[in-house]
Amino acid sequence: MKIDKEEVMYIAKLAKLKFSDEDAGELAIEFEGILKHFDSLKETEQDIKDIELEEESNMELREDVVEIFEDSEKLFSNVKDIDRGYVRIPKVID
Amino acid sequence: MKIDQMTMEDIKSGLERKKFTAQELVAGVYKKIDEVEDKVGAYITLSQDLAIKQAKDIDSAMDRGENVGPLAGMPIAIKDNICTEGIKTTCASKMLHDFIPPYDATVVKKLKDAGAIIIGKTNMDEFAMGSSTENSAFKVTKNPWRLDRVPGGSSGGSAAAVAAGMAFMALGSDTGGSIRQPAAFCGVVGLKPTYGLVSRYGLVAFASSLDQIGPITKSVKDCALTLDVIQGKDPKDATTVDVRNTSSYLREIEKGIEGLKIAIPREFFPGSLDSQISNEIMESMFMLKGLGATIDEISLPITDEGLSAYYIISSAEASSNLGRFDGIKYGYRSENYADIEELILNSRTEGFGIETKRRIMLGTYTLTSGYYDAYYNRAQKVREKIKQQFKEIFSKYDLIISPTSPVLPFPIGEKIGNPLDMYLSDIYTISANLAGIPAISLPCGFCQEGLPIGLQIIGGPFSESKIFRAAYALEQELGLGNGVAVIKEAKK
Repeated sequence: MKIDKEEVMYIAKLAKLKFSDEDAGELAIEFEGILKHFDSLKETEQDIKDIELEEESNMELREDVVEIFEDSEKLFSNVKDIDRGYVRIPKVID
Repeated sequence: MKIDQMTMEDIKSGLERKKFTAQELVAGVYKKIDEVEDKVGAYITLSQDLAIKQAKDIDSAMDRGENVGPLAGMPIAIKDNICTEGIKTTCASKMLHDFIPPYDATVVKKLKDAGAIIIGKTNMDEFAMGSSTENSAFKVTKNPWRLDRVPGGSSGGSAAAVAAGMAFMALGSDTGGSIRQPAAFCGVVGLKPTYGLVSRYGLVAFASSLDQIGPITKSVKDCALTLDVIQGKDPKDATTVDVRNTSSYLREIEKGIEGLKIAIPREFFPGSLDSQISNEIMESMFMLKGLGATIDEISLPITDEGLSAYYIISSAEASSNLGRFDGIKYGYRSENYADIEELILNSRTEGFGIETKRRIMLGTYTLTSGYYDAYYNRAQKVREKIKQQFKEIFSKYDLIISPTSPVLPFPIGEKIGNPLDMYLSDIYTISANLAGIPAISLPCGFCQEGLPIGLQIIGGPFSESKIFRAAYALEQELGLGNGVAVIKEAKK
């Protein structure tokens, strides 16, 4: 699988990360090595073609009960910028 | 006996017989930390004031003759990706460098309720991504047995803290071997429990379908004692199940292994495997046979496809789980931004380290439309195939034994520049995560250079009791299980 810098930049955009031109070039080379290894999966085609993937659902969900939570100060204790109980972010709509 | 040589069992009986107090114990541990932490670098945060206060409370309760928990006064450490109320939890990342959780993880709450005292939070690979603890944003932890070697990872700080006598138990998390491989490298015991046995509520998620929390201890009995405390269904983690099939792992541990059927997969012993590793494992095998187990060689292909499936699934889940770090509600926020888009982009770019970014990118790539079927879907099918293979084996055998790692603790810096080489060192541990089954690593000997070698015992779902019985029997026969590393300086 050939990966180029442009593809790395496209994936970075989706992942909300930024890379310099040089870093993207290095990542492209690394990715090629790793993806080449991942291609070993293709050799398993015969072994896995009959495997059906079933949604496992052994999870037991708890009752959906309303609980009153009053300690909002504690909940917001790690927020960087807060104003009257609201998280402040840069203006989104002009 | 010096405090740092003691196991949790020794501490329990010492406190009960009033040979020492919890306060003396805690003071002893911090003294040890003063002596060796500069060299080893196992901790990110120490919580001394809280620990001293907790120890005082335990001593008073014991003086009053109150009923204290099964871990009363026990100095322990917690991996820094498990939330501790009021104590910084960084995941060894700049992204969470100042994050103080407003709540305790379920396992932390259970340990505290049992009377355990938290000494500090241990170093790790950033967001648990790595096999050497070199990917921490803050420091590189050294292997206490030889300071120029890695302690393994990602729970390297936890394993090193226990091995160096700076905690009597440390929690780790294991997504692809992150408890077992550092335990092997540091000569201690580490268990990855069955998926669903221990709650992950409060564990900062890496790959949710693989992550499990488990104990790292000096002895197998200590490991069982801790699992007794932390296991169990938790309404806050829907993947946990109520399957307690034993009254106590610790109480059943001495039942012996007479008649247990053990399988050895020949593919785990290729000609290229370090002969020191295979020799020690084989010697242990003879011991188990002598203790009454039957041993058969079987075939269990461990192939590149399993490793590929692991890295595809774990990176895909990581790319989704780490999407929550956006610099808004908590965590690192960049100072350079004009709008919301740039705030998120710059916070993530500046906050995450290189390996974390690499995994997010890999995960995003394999989930991208056009590649999803070629990678992610196929990886899930390989995972299903691996599950079926184990099911088949465990219908005939009780346990599987293998080396924990194909390599000995490698020199710091050796693999950091080559991610694929680093990934390949997880080859023996990832299948237990993919299949959701339990596995333990315990020390079974040392190589010529004096570095520990780990042996892995894998069992079927919820067979922890059987695993402990075999591990304990072997540990007794080997005469290991309370060693503290004699710290050796790196060779100049």
